[in-house]
Amino acid sequence: MSDAAVVPRRFGVRSRTPAVHNLTLNRVLVGLLGLVTLVALGARLLAPDDPIQPVGDFNLPPGSPGHLLGTDMIGRDLLSRTLWGIQASWLSALAVVLVGLLFGGLIGLVAGAAGGWVDNVLMRLTDLFLALPGVLVAIAIVAALGPGLVHTLLGISIVWWPYYARIIRGEVRALAARPHVEAARLAGASRLRILRRHLLPGTVPTAIVTASLDIGNVVLLLAGLSFIGLGQLAPAPELGADTARALTQLLAQWWVPVVPGIAVMLLSLVANLGGDALRGLLDGRR
Amino acid sequence: MIGFLTRRAGAAVAVLLILTAVVFVLQQYSPGDPVKAYLGANASPAAVAAERVTLHLDDPLVSRYGHYLSAAARGDLGTSYRTHRKVTADLGAFLPATFELVVVAFLFALLLGAVFAMLRTIAGTFVRGVLLVGATAPPFLLALGGIILFYAHLGWLPATGRGGNDDGFLLTHSLVTGDWAQFGDGLQHVVLPALVLAVAPAVSIGRILRASLQQTLSADHVRTARAKGLTEVAVFGRHVLRNSIGPGLSMAGLQLGFMFAGVVVVEQIFSWPGIGNYLAESIPAADYPAIAGVTVVLGAVYIVTNTVVDMIQALADPRIAL
Repeated sequence: MSDAAVVPRRFGVRSRTPAVHNLTLNRVLVGLLGLVTLVALGARLLAPDDPIQPVGDFNLPPGSPGHLLGTDMIGRDLLSRTLWGIQASWLSALAVVLVGLLFGGLIGLVAGAAGGWVDNVLMRLTDLFLALPGVLVAIAIVAALGPGLVHTLLGISIVWWPYYARIIRGEVRALAARPHVEAARLAGASRLRILRRHLLPGTVPTAIVTASLDIGNVVLLLAGLSFIGLGQLAPAPELGADTARALTQLLAQWWVPVVPGIAVMLLSLVANLGGDALRGLLDGRR
Repeated sequence: MIGFLTRRAGAAVAVLLILTAVVFVLQQYSPGDPVKAYLGANASPAAVAAERVTLHLDDPLVSRYGHYLSAAARGDLGTSYRTHRKVTADLGAFLPATFELVVVAFLFALLLGAVFAMLRTIAGTFVRGVLLVGATAPPFLLALGGIILFYAHLGWLPATGRGGNDDGFLLTHSLVTGDWAQFGDGLQHVVLPALVLAVAPAVSIGRILRASLQQTLSADHVRTARAKGLTEVAVFGRHVLRNSIGPGLSMAGLQLGFMFAGVVVVEQIFSWPGIGNYLAESIPAADYPAIAGVTVVLGAVYIVTNTVVDMIQALADPRIAL
């Protein structure tokens, strides 16, 4: 295979790219996931000002004394609003992923462990949901229930679980064919015991990696829904909606719409890098 | 093969029925009273009662769903509370703009995906880096950055609308009639929104294609082709690309469906007069018939796209049908 790599070419790809197995870097990146969660939880303590009340002049640029990221069109501190927005986005994304993982994981676990017609029925149902355009259905659900954070979370969660059901089910099927599970079955262990002691623990690494890589997707989806007016209601700080409300200011005071957008990007970047690093760490351990 | 195609088509119909059922049930719980919307708030009780009968509002749920389905099949998705026009008439006016935007964005995504997967120069690395970072950003941030850079600073591209005042297939029409001034203007308008829409799909397509190319490059038949002295271009074109393009194309089909769903935010920012912008304007007005109409139509496009992609794949590679 090395021959492919030494022939100089303008097109094509190296036949093998070096895998990054940097333990320290991976640990730092996974640590970032925890750090962002801490920032989200502690937004109340970290925010210098009230996110809803005006505290300064209108449209102060970033770096203004007392307002690190500037102020918005009615003089609210952008750093405070962004921190509160990060809290809403990040914790919501975690909640959606957790609900999807628990519900979808349960379906996948039952389907994979039971096999036969139970597996068939559950997986056809999952396929139906997977074939639906998730984003559009989420929009329709939230629009029908009326905007609001709880409705948004509900709308996304309803379309989010099938992905997990598929992955966990596949993992369980693969595990069930492994010798140690076979041995447990031959030893006369009950179905419940096999499920609890041998199948469930085996799915945990895959579940964790899948879920952590998914946080970024949910952050982006939430920001998009909030941008088109399907997030929290008006005065509450929310990253997507804050950008949408300040769109007309883009060419005059760019920071007002751009700062919340950059916060979304950082959240999604941390989620993706952290998820990749977590996969690296768990793969290394196997 | 015919069995597979029939099963696949049947599954698509089932998913469409589920989609319409979900939208229909949601419509029952949405705020807003269709009778008041049509007759006005001061209508007499007798007129209201008569209208309820005409709209079948007092029938059982299942029978109302039947009415909804048969009306939808005849091209009637109800009347918008906001524009007071038939939803299908509104959609017919806005769909061409969305269609042209998505097609151009899809071409960009294919091109950028190919560059992402194949170009091995400094430029390729640069494009890969930009795309990877861009894919983690929310589309609205990309749009804002694009407007600031290409419109405000460089003055290269317009920021809003699609140029001209033709509502229909502006690009296609000007291309076919040879109206080059209009075509150039339309092209300038479509570049920025299409690029924003193309970034995330380009990364998905590029990643899959790259992985598949790497696998094929280390296959035995490629070593044989090199050993018998074929040029790199011939090896790559004939023996590598053809064998590894399948996964990339199937991902491209999937992404085409996602693009129809993700077009809402992009159209809103660029004031692109399409169906996504229509949806974004209907949401604050709580215009549920319009929202439901957009969901059904874009959802149907998504489902049909995925089905057709599956069928094409099965025809190209019969192993899939097994």
